[in-house]
Amino acid sequence: MPEGKFCNKKPVDTAEGITQLLSDTSGNTYYKEMKELTVDSDLLWKTIQNTCKSRIRTWLEICAHCGMCAESCFLYQVNGRDPKQVPAYKIQSTLGKIIQKKGKVDNAFMRHAMEVAWSQCTCCNRCGMYCPHGIDTGIMFGYLRGLLYQQGFVPWELKIGAGMHRVYNAQMDVTDADFVDTFEWMVEEYEEDYPGLTVPVDKEGADIMYTVNAREVKHYPEDLAEAAVLFHMAGENWTVPSKGWEETSLAMFAGDWAACKIQVESVYAAMERLKPKRMIGTECGHAHRATVIEGPYWAGRKDGLPPVESIHYVEWLAEALNTGKLKIDPSKRIKELVTLQDSCNYIRNQGLKQATRDIMKHIVEPGYFVEMSPNKEHNYCCGGGGGFNGIGLYRKQRNIALIKKRDQILATGAKLVLAPCHNCWDAIRDLEEEYDIGIRWSFLKPVIIKMLDIPDHLKPEE
Amino acid sequence: MFKKILFATSATAASDHAARVAFNIARSYQSALNIFHVLGVPSRGYSQVVVDVKTKERVDVDEDYLAWVNEDIKTYYAKYLDERLHYTIDVAVGLPAREILRQAKKLTPDLIVIGGSTGDEDETVYKKSSAGTTLQKVAKASHCPVLVVNRPAASFWGGLSNIVFGTDFSKTSEKAFDFAMKVAKALDCEMHVFHALDISPLHGGRMLSQDEIEQQIREATRKIRALYGARLKELSHYSMDVWEGIPYVEIVKYARDKHADLLIMAHHSRKLPSQDIRMGGNVEQVIVRAGCPVISINK
Repeated sequence: MPEGKFCNKKPVDTAEGITQLLSDTSGNTYYKEMKELTVDSDLLWKTIQNTCKSRIRTWLEICAHCGMCAESCFLYQVNGRDPKQVPAYKIQSTLGKIIQKKGKVDNAFMRHAMEVAWSQCTCCNRCGMYCPHGIDTGIMFGYLRGLLYQQGFVPWELKIGAGMHRVYNAQMDVTDADFVDTFEWMVEEYEEDYPGLTVPVDKEGADIMYTVNAREVKHYPEDLAEAAVLFHMAGENWTVPSKGWEETSLAMFAGDWAACKIQVESVYAAMERLKPKRMIGTECGHAHRATVIEGPYWAGRKDGLPPVESIHYVEWLAEALNTGKLKIDPSKRIKELVTLQDSCNYIRNQGLKQATRDIMKHIVEPGYFVEMSPNKEHNYCCGGGGGFNGIGLYRKQRNIALIKKRDQILATGAKLVLAPCHNCWDAIRDLEEEYDIGIRWSFLKPVIIKMLDIPDHLKPEE
Repeated sequence: MFKKILFATSATAASDHAARVAFNIARSYQSALNIFHVLGVPSRGYSQVVVDVKTKERVDVDEDYLAWVNEDIKTYYAKYLDERLHYTIDVAVGLPAREILRQAKKLTPDLIVIGGSTGDEDETVYKKSSAGTTLQKVAKASHCPVLVVNRPAASFWGGLSNIVFGTDFSKTSEKAFDFAMKVAKALDCEMHVFHALDISPLHGGRMLSQDEIEQQIREATRKIRALYGARLKELSHYSMDVWEGIPYVEIVKYARDKHADLLIMAHHSRKLPSQDIRMGGNVEQVIVRAGCPVISINK
């Protein structure tokens, strides 16, 4: 069985393994080795029999091939309406075929399935809303990714990402000590401007336990300080766990089911240890989906819920603004056309559209907020979701995928895009780099901090 | 004095003036010099690809690439590097200001040397999403003095002998004065304490009469004497002056008049200026215009 040095069926679960894999620039050898990788058909079929439950089997069975899903898929739209980009075709010709053939598929087929699973579907779940039967191709692609991962057919960056979660309980090589140290450093830097600012670590029984994205710790630590500032200004009793602080899950994008469980259990352990009233994650879409929506099932929680009530950052922000915990200085509201990117993972898939609209009402001068078309649960994926942004092998396809969002933004006439999701933020940044349409983009935190009406007792001494 | 210096560089022509000064100080005062380069900004996704600020190419940052960039910097500064200079080279990936501060946190240098702003780098998509320049952010948060060289004319350096200290009588200015005294004593420099009286109608809201101007000059001179007079006596050569005008212009003129080879000022703007006002404060204006290196002190 030709298992490669880099490309094989074994997950990476040591720091050395990750370093070694990273040393294979762009995964060049990895993808070369993939061409020789044998498909373990017996294992594949056994796995399908054990894990492919009635929902997916029924969906594959009842699909009437009506084509209603075609127009709903932004990738179909931007790729010249190629019939091969119709969601029903995409899943039937991959997962459907594997099941039909009882796992007896070859290497070339698996590599093709990998390409479809990671470059022709971002798991945005929009097609599921338009199918008369409610068939959700995105969910099925998530499942297919799991099968492909097990057989070693997974994009190089995602094998690394899933490995990071196994080794560090984080999507990057950020240790628990790095996290606490960086958070304290940032708070110290901002303390001059916000007297009394602290980061309470491992405080038991706090009202809020805050979790983040390891990227913030590694490269964008201002995000941490900004979160601290807003909790401080709102007078919240909050804490961060010194362990179990990472909310994201590249393991979910990779289809590494075991790592998904390991990761989410690290966060749940923190919840159980610190017993906060609520958990709030950063402005990230997939992180919320992984930890709050899907995570409970990975962890085998019977009630389908995390150990404590868990809400998205925009829900907290809307609540803080609506209740007056955070006050906006009306003279500092946004007074230029501004649009909002609805993240698939918590708008379409969890229905938080009202929260973000509430926030807009507080921070944008009436008349300046322009909705994209379509919007809310009907909005299109940013173009880089589901892991697409990070995969070098499919960069070209990803750049084409950005066209839909580019055109939606251009149609609003806005030069400022608010994107409360790391993935969306990144895709929008990349589309500016690629297509140069002259826009700016931002998370909510930095925008809101600039327009806060700060109570006198929290102001720095002049 | 200046035992450890962190020289943050783009390793391009934009940092050449700063490089000359950084290497000069390091050589003159036997400092350990850390040459630090941030090669590009990573995405918020998990792509391994970074756009190299120097080559403008998309690259995979791995050990080999970092080693190559390290070697490239060595070649770029080859004429300065010899056995007598204690130097190290580090290369990082990230947002430049943040990584410079991170490196400063790790190394705890006595001085950060940083080049002036460059035109073309500001046009990358990364810059558009963050307000303020690298220089402003580093100057605001740094725990040690930050030395900036913006113009080629500011980079001549034959050791330190003549310091101009610009004061606005603020709390931070006191700290800047302490530092200026320390440098002047350690390196046996002359020191010229200077205050510029802002008489622009934009600032005061009206035109001042000449009597008022002269009255205010007398008051400021008294203030300088009261605040700094006693301690200045510890130096063999010093002077104190107050001129009126647009502050940053007067400071630059005064420094030229005194043949200053170093300008020291406090940097105490609380907030970063917004994106549109690129170089907002007085210190920034001095940095852009000065004919000698400028050290800004924040903490």
